[in-house]
Amino acid sequence: MPVASEAAARIGPPRRLAVDFPAAVNLVGMLGKYLGLAALFPVAVALWYGETIWPFVVAGAVTSGVGLALERLTAGARGRVGVREGFLVVAATWLLAASFAAIPYLLAGGEQLSSPIDAYFEGMSGFTTTGATVVTDYDELERSVNMWRQFTQWLGGMGIIVLAIAVLPRLRVGGRQVMESELPGPEIAQLSERIRATARSLWVLYVGLTALETLLLASLGWLGIDDAMTEFEALAHAFTTMPTGGFSTQPRSIEPFSPTAQWIIVVFMLLAGANFALMYRGFLRRRPRVFLRDEEFRLYLALAALASAALTAMLWGYGIAEGEEAVRSGVFQVVSIMTTTGYASTDFALWPSLLLLTLFALMFVGGSAGSTGGSIKVVRHLLLGKVLRREIDQTLSPEVVMPIRLNASPVDERTVRAIAAFILLYVGFWAVGSAILAIDSAITGSGLQTIDALGTAATALGNVGPGFGITGPMGSFAPLGDVSKLTLIGLMWVGRLEIVPVVVLLTRHYWRL
Amino acid sequence: MKVFLIGAGQVGSTVVEALHVDHEVTVLDTEASRLQALTARFDVAVYEGDGTSRKDLAAAGIGAADLVIACTSRDEVNLVAGMFARREAPRAPTVIRTSSIEYVELWREGQLDVDFVVSSELETAYAISRIIGVPAASQTDVFADGQVQVGEFEIDEDASPEVVGVSLRDADIPQDSKVAAIIRRDETIFPGGDDVILHGDRIVVIGSPGAAKAWSSLLWPAGGTVRDVVVYGAGRVGSAIARVLIDQSINVRMIEASREQARRAAESFPSARVFSATGFDPDFIERERIGYAQAGIFAMRDDAKNLYAASLTRVHGIPFTIAIAHEAMSVDAFERAGIDVSVNPRGVTAEEIVRFAHDPRMQQVAMLEGNRYEVLDVTTRESSRYIGTSFRDMPVHGALIGAIVRDGKAIFPHGDDMLQAGDRVIVFTESANVSWVVEAL
Repeated sequence: MPVASEAAARIGPPRRLAVDFPAAVNLVGMLGKYLGLAALFPVAVALWYGETIWPFVVAGAVTSGVGLALERLTAGARGRVGVREGFLVVAATWLLAASFAAIPYLLAGGEQLSSPIDAYFEGMSGFTTTGATVVTDYDELERSVNMWRQFTQWLGGMGIIVLAIAVLPRLRVGGRQVMESELPGPEIAQLSERIRATARSLWVLYVGLTALETLLLASLGWLGIDDAMTEFEALAHAFTTMPTGGFSTQPRSIEPFSPTAQWIIVVFMLLAGANFALMYRGFLRRRPRVFLRDEEFRLYLALAALASAALTAMLWGYGIAEGEEAVRSGVFQVVSIMTTTGYASTDFALWPSLLLLTLFALMFVGGSAGSTGGSIKVVRHLLLGKVLRREIDQTLSPEVVMPIRLNASPVDERTVRAIAAFILLYVGFWAVGSAILAIDSAITGSGLQTIDALGTAATALGNVGPGFGITGPMGSFAPLGDVSKLTLIGLMWVGRLEIVPVVVLLTRHYWRL
Repeated sequence: MKVFLIGAGQVGSTVVEALHVDHEVTVLDTEASRLQALTARFDVAVYEGDGTSRKDLAAAGIGAADLVIACTSRDEVNLVAGMFARREAPRAPTVIRTSSIEYVELWREGQLDVDFVVSSELETAYAISRIIGVPAASQTDVFADGQVQVGEFEIDEDASPEVVGVSLRDADIPQDSKVAAIIRRDETIFPGGDDVILHGDRIVVIGSPGAAKAWSSLLWPAGGTVRDVVVYGAGRVGSAIARVLIDQSINVRMIEASREQARRAAESFPSARVFSATGFDPDFIERERIGYAQAGIFAMRDDAKNLYAASLTRVHGIPFTIAIAHEAMSVDAFERAGIDVSVNPRGVTAEEIVRFAHDPRMQQVAMLEGNRYEVLDVTTRESSRYIGTSFRDMPVHGALIGAIVRDGKAIFPHGDDMLQAGDRVIVFTESANVSWVVEAL
């Protein structure tokens, strides 16, 4: 029967895979192709200082080559990247970027970065803007490699801005629409013109703030206020402030720099932890009142101020520091940890446990939504607080209808549920990660105290950087065992992608029909 | 004047009732039975046709109209009819009825090409807000954009001796107000300084909104200002009421049975506490202390539910109840049943339309005691014989000027003030005297 066979041909064989794998790989390949070009910057730095350029040339060539190859192999699948594929693209891109960052470390990092796991750790810490490091001997690294570390964080920050404004809201992760506009269109691959324009304007802000910080810091050197702050250091630290990264070229982080430089960095850390879309409206559109009207921003500042005051008082009370130094020390550490930057102006790992607990709690606060900061983020705390208040209210009056509001407009109930789920997942990942770290360090005898495993897992998941104990701000993650390092790599990755996109990949129905 | 009316429903027939004597009225409706009912009662021309059909409108003679009123229950019909009326009868003012506050706002912004837009919901909300503002009054109305308030009060045993039982000259009357009339049984007194207010009288007061509140507390000392209100029903009427009351910073609690509507109300009124409940459950009423509210407003779609809820909450302690009576018949039934005030949205709408249809010099009319008395808002002519007369020398002939509006500001005149040409005067009079009062001014 010709009719039946025609129908059979139309029906075709059963399809197993629900996700359009080739299309996702194609997009990752395209991103990899362009990412490789980023190696040109460290090449230029190496040329300037007369250092070896080949590690970066190799890294760039390999990354672009792999990207190109992936793109070519899946050329037929172009343009079918939807929400479902988006999760995969996001997850894979960060894994790929971390590998890219690791290549120069393997080739030019010397003894301390020669293990692939260590190099990958450093690469992931860079692209997730965490700032945890396995480097112990900074002088051994060439200037170009040092600058590469800083630069990977800066690139990661750019990626996060796109992630936060274009990708995560489409994947219903993140807790709020960052821009006022709805994000149109089902295609993530061809980011619509509106999103591109938005990303571009936020990038302008990001680049502009980085340039401004570089200029301010460098001028301290030029004016003789801070001799340690050379042009190189100014750029290197601006590169890791704006993405709330935390890598430093100095073994003792920000400590060697002058108080003025530290205060400037505090201001820029605060800016980096604020919502970029809000800052765009406030600064570039000249509408400063949006800051006062934004509930999240108000809470963000209030929390930073409160914690700073508390820490300052404790520092003074314990006699660790006094006067301007106590205030600076308190404010710097609070802002650095809360925004998940991870700089330190002093070795806070040596502080009494009351102060450490304060910093530990701040690791769970995070920056604002739409910032480069990580962790749970202020807006989720804010909304969770409102949900709890409603629950209490409804205990007394079950009939009362109370929409959860953010900046006076009602928040969708689904979003509210997603936030509660996120926080539970976050705590879950932290608990499991801590357990693995604690067990592994007990087995390997790496010297990480069990209690410090909690802080170390939190610092990785929140993309903060330094932990406590041996992983403290002046310490290093190098002594940890390989299982611990792999766990931390996983936590950094999951934390940066706001957990859900990775967890979705683990569900059966993501892959199968 | 030739009046062309689209819609012979409840609003339409009330408007016809008010206008058919003095005007030549044509009514268009799609339903023959309604038109028949109308012709049986009034001397009007009727035409069976569709308000959205330009052909029908033309055939019914809209082109000759001096005033077009579109008052069907459907917004779209009224809008389209209003649009066609503009084309067919370009010089006739058009009035349309709407249930959407959005259209009212559009019209206020000048985006809607009609002369007057009436919303039942909004008029009902305003009526209720006036009642809430002056709880002792059995009826109130506002003039001159709310600068002048007219209220009718019953004088019972609670009334303060500062104003009752003493001559008006010696009574402690609130500033910026005037007693326009004392109604004693069937007799109407336009009071002078020697007259006395007695228990059992009803009085009509014209004054500033502040003065009206002061009168309310003089006559009902136990009742302070209403600050806490429960609204049953969060539909269009209930929401309009809540909006108006919240604007006056009155604390509003809303009870709505439909989850969806409750959610919408909760989203639009952040300061109101909205409950998703029928509100008939005694446990709920007890637990939420509904009875502690100073006033209950019942704005559900069903008159029977409004009556029941009002009675129920009264049992639980709400001292003052206002119910929406969608059916004209319900007004009397509600009042018999002990509801303090009932408001008929269609009646209120019709009244608003009739106000517009009157003499163009006359900005507004209010009717008191059915239609035994009227309060007029008239602009004085150059040729009026009272121009330049001081109020002391003004004769008292069954009418009284309570306030004048000069350059947009309300003045409550004293003996030495003089009437000027172009003043808008707020006059209280018996309905029988309206025509000569208007002529004299």
